[in-house]
Amino acid sequence: MPFDAPAPVLRHDALNRDHFLLTLECPSIAREARAGQFVMLQTRAGFDPLLRRPMSICRVLPGRRGRIQILYKIVGEGTRYLSQQPVGALVPTLGPLGKGFRLPDGGTRPILVSGGVGIAIFPFLVESLRAARRETPLLVYGARSRGDLVALEFFRKKRVPVRLATEDGSAGTRGLVTRVLEPILADAGGAPLEIFACGPTPMLKAVGALALGAGIPCQLALESQMPCGIGVCLGCVTRCPADQRGPVFRRVCTEGPVFRADEVVL
Amino acid sequence: MRRATPRRRRGGARVRDASPRPADVDLSVSLGPLRLKNPVVAASGTFGYGCEFAPYLRLADLGGFVTKGLSLLPRRGNAPPRTCETPSGMLNAIGLANVGVEAFLAEKLPALRDCGTAVIANVFGETQEEYVAVSRRLNGAPGLAALELNLSCPNTEKGGLAFGVSPPVVREVVAAVRRAAPDQPLIVKLTPNITDVAAAGRAAKEGGADILSLVNTFLGMAIDLKTRRPVLDNVVGGLSGPAIKPLALYMVHRVHREVGLPVLGMGGISRVEDALEFMLAGSSAVQVGTLNFFDPTGSVRLVREIEAWCVREGVRAVREITGTLRLPASGTPTPPAG
Repeated sequence: MPFDAPAPVLRHDALNRDHFLLTLECPSIAREARAGQFVMLQTRAGFDPLLRRPMSICRVLPGRRGRIQILYKIVGEGTRYLSQQPVGALVPTLGPLGKGFRLPDGGTRPILVSGGVGIAIFPFLVESLRAARRETPLLVYGARSRGDLVALEFFRKKRVPVRLATEDGSAGTRGLVTRVLEPILADAGGAPLEIFACGPTPMLKAVGALALGAGIPCQLALESQMPCGIGVCLGCVTRCPADQRGPVFRRVCTEGPVFRADEVVL
Repeated sequence: MRRATPRRRRGGARVRDASPRPADVDLSVSLGPLRLKNPVVAASGTFGYGCEFAPYLRLADLGGFVTKGLSLLPRRGNAPPRTCETPSGMLNAIGLANVGVEAFLAEKLPALRDCGTAVIANVFGETQEEYVAVSRRLNGAPGLAALELNLSCPNTEKGGLAFGVSPPVVREVVAAVRRAAPDQPLIVKLTPNITDVAAAGRAAKEGGADILSLVNTFLGMAIDLKTRRPVLDNVVGGLSGPAIKPLALYMVHRVHREVGLPVLGMGGISRVEDALEFMLAGSSAVQVGTLNFFDPTGSVRLVREIEAWCVREGVRAVREITGTLRLPASGTPTPPAG
């Protein structure tokens, strides 16, 4: 069940020029959250910006205080205001919302595919996989440039192998994540894999197509303009395969944000 | 967001001797045949079918709520993107996605029968016949407090707005629905996308409406400069939120003075002051819409804050403030320019 309460800012760290890590105290949300779920944050008091912003839950920190972390990038006014929230401020926080990732079966190797700030969703998944004694995942992480890569330290500490791709070639393979992902899928040699992807829609589309082509199960965490986050505004829908009665749309906030690659048409 | 301290029904709040205590404030309002326990109603399209808000509030704490617009058959709505945030507002072009009147009656309404608040069904049609058919189906449904006729949806190719902008058509559709659903209090929801909103209100009255609700959203659009395309797939959408409040308030004021039917006012109401201002302008009760999106418990907070305001101001029954706007001595409001 979701909760709505003003959450105190415990820490607020700049990771680089435009990425931030926000630590909030919200015990009810921390207790109930699952990997892949999100919260709606009010970025500042008042009516401009009007709407809350959906943010993946990056981590639930251990301990009894009930702390969650949100990793975000400044992409517009809302996130800019959020980045100015000082320690001690109260951020109205609604969650946990949506359907998170379904953990893979034991013996299946999770391949995490992240583009840009999509990385925010994966620390929680890595910890959930570990807690459920699943196979150690492999992270394929793409960004525009070396300076845009964040949270690498977390994955190193968790001993998650990481393959990088940058569009300018400043770290890892030059190009998009699919360039790294393709050979991994080709070389799997029939070992069971499952892909978990989060990032810009064009990336999700490409990764979903690769997975479907290779017959590998794939879960995509979608991003959408989301006015309410609780399933009533019907504003965040994604297109799904049409049926005989015409186009099909499903709400990203409640039926997602995680969908199987074959469930959506991006 | 401004948050006032919630007042408890019983508690140690110190009040002047002559002032009512919270328990003494009468929040109930009557709009023609419709009685509401308090003047805050959640607006159509922002509150699902009610059940979606169960985790956040007690429906019984609201004066009522209006369902998503119901059509004869289920509708899947427009292609995304369907919404866009704007300064202190948002555009939407949902396209009236809904479960259809049959599924509403079979799956949604029974669960709402004991919810303790007025359930109002919003009715949509692409043709007059569809409005009539949906209304006839809903007439007398157990647990339904009223119908709200949506003659103002801007986001569908046919129906809605196309009806609402023409007073003669409004009169005809309302009259046909009135005949088809004689047992339900009938609210007609007016569009603001019209030169003379009072003319549409008078037409609805002549057609047999009991109550007028206004305003629906204002037509608007947003453009993505980078792609040089409209943001919404539907190109145009309806603007709502605090941005439209002054426009809506003015229309409520006019309809209240010029039509003579009880008014359910709405348009960007987000704070208790907004709700009270709409009541001064002539609303017997208010609807809150976009607020439900960015603050899911905002509607019930408004109820508590209205009560607290009444206590502070020594108002014993909130219905007493409806239409008590103090106009300048020169009197008549200026008609719209042009």
